[in-house]
Amino acid sequence: MITAQRLTKIYGDKPAVDGISFTVEPGRVTGFLGPNGAGKSTTMRMILGLDRPTSGSVTVNGRRYADYPAPLREVGALLEARALHPGRSARDHLRWLAASNGVPRVRVDEVLGLVGLESVADKRVGKFSLGMGQRLGIAVALLGDPPVVVLDEPVNGLDPEGIRWVRTLARQLAGEGRTVFVSSHLMSEMALTAEHLVVVGRGRILADCSMSEFIADHAASYVRVASPQRGEVADLLRRQGLDVGVHEEELRVQGLDAAAIGELVGKSGLLLHELTLVRSSLEDAFMTLTADSVEYHATTAAGIPA
Amino acid sequence: MTTTQFSRTVDLDPNRNVPGTPQPGFGHALRAEWIKFWSVRSTFWSTAMLFVLGAGLTVLVCATSAAWLASEEADESPLSFVTWGLMLAQITAIVLGTLVVTSEYGTGMIRATLAATPRRGSVLAAKAIVLSGTLFVVGTITAFAGYFGGNFFLDREGIGVSLGDEGVLRAMFGSGLYVAGLGLFAAAVGFLIRHTAAALSVVLALVFVVGNMAFLLPGTWGEWTAKLMPGNAGAGVATPVSFNPDLLDPWAGFAVFAGEIAVLTVVAWATFRRRDA
Repeated sequence: MITAQRLTKIYGDKPAVDGISFTVEPGRVTGFLGPNGAGKSTTMRMILGLDRPTSGSVTVNGRRYADYPAPLREVGALLEARALHPGRSARDHLRWLAASNGVPRVRVDEVLGLVGLESVADKRVGKFSLGMGQRLGIAVALLGDPPVVVLDEPVNGLDPEGIRWVRTLARQLAGEGRTVFVSSHLMSEMALTAEHLVVVGRGRILADCSMSEFIADHAASYVRVASPQRGEVADLLRRQGLDVGVHEEELRVQGLDAAAIGELVGKSGLLLHELTLVRSSLEDAFMTLTADSVEYHATTAAGIPA
Repeated sequence: MTTTQFSRTVDLDPNRNVPGTPQPGFGHALRAEWIKFWSVRSTFWSTAMLFVLGAGLTVLVCATSAAWLASEEADESPLSFVTWGLMLAQITAIVLGTLVVTSEYGTGMIRATLAATPRRGSVLAAKAIVLSGTLFVVGTITAFAGYFGGNFFLDREGIGVSLGDEGVLRAMFGSGLYVAGLGLFAAAVGFLIRHTAAALSVVLALVFVVGNMAFLLPGTWGEWTAKLMPGNAGAGVATPVSFNPDLLDPWAGFAVFAGEIAVLTVVAWATFRRRDA
């Protein structure tokens, strides 16, 4: 479990993270979503004690990260920027990390196998592709078999097979009861991986809810209605106080579900050719949500106090 | 507080944890730095160059100067020549000391280091011990190798130097101490500046350029400034008889040098401790 309380980081006079509070529960994958520059990486660095919060706090299972004598056994992290020396081999990189936290050497070979890097373990990581680098980063995260796993943009640079592997791994880790916190700027990726979402924009929390709640609250849905008597149907529905939009050959109706609309139209004896519930994608929902936060800040930048 | 207390849906396997030491201490940080230090090629090249330049140039210069040193025209002591190579070899110690720190900042490794060992004082201390220990050993071996090789040629001209002669044995171990000190000095500057080229330039300029130019300063004030410059103060201990008659006594100079390193390291630690990684 990760707990952030009014966590704030200010660079110069610009808040990168602006008083956010959230909890990442064990046993499920929590997605940390936001556009680039939203404060995701800064938050993750503060979780790992790399950056000092300007105010507020963040703890992992009740303790500050830096207070753990063997932090790699408590929190495994994949950092966004590749925190590697290009001249060192993958095995040596894992070896020193293992030594620093008293993790036995056999575990190094174990995690190399787990991420599928055995064959290149002794190659210098400077020669690694982006995807191999990400795999090594995940090996680092799993080295101490930690109850909390933090992955910053884990699918960056991975091929489709690798992406699926990360997705399965994240869910598997959560299924074992671990706390899994995964950041991404790709809603589509989160939709397939995360059960819970923390959405940030411009350093503030925009949403903290389950994936289904997020869809219900933010993904607009409407009923597509096609009829040879389009004008009459539109008038009928408008009289009921429904929001009806006309788009080319179809009507988009909001405010009532498909069945009720069908009954209403049927009772009045009008013809229907199509009646479909259309949900906008998560990607759209995310764009809508973060677009608002961008607009809001554009206004404040123009001189209106926040 | 344990995790399982929060896991309402699933419980972690209690045997999940990897075995090993659950409470690692400073020894683990030291071991980690040791593995890091020797698993990049710059360490091998720097220490190899320290040896090749240090011992090799001493032998070469002794071989070519032995006849002149034995002649009537000689106005230098052979004792100034038995650690001659160190004048150039010291650059490699500065390079190594700088890289040990700045390569971590340049590559982003520092974040992995601090995530593994959040106690920043331990990271700094472990790096300092691994670096200075290695440089002391390599520097001392280099000095002995240079002495034995160079003295072979001096002996042939009948001006051989004995390890028992005043200052010779001191200069052997002093060479190790001096390069270890230079490495630490460079590492401390590395922690402060964090960029390889900038840190390297600052230290090399301070030790070689500013250090030598300071002797041009006028008056007693200028003389003391020159004597107290890190390279000038520290180098005396590494040679039985210095070419430069204006230096402090070997051990007094080294004490000044050590003091300067200590101050710089404390400043580096205070900065490192507070700064975001």
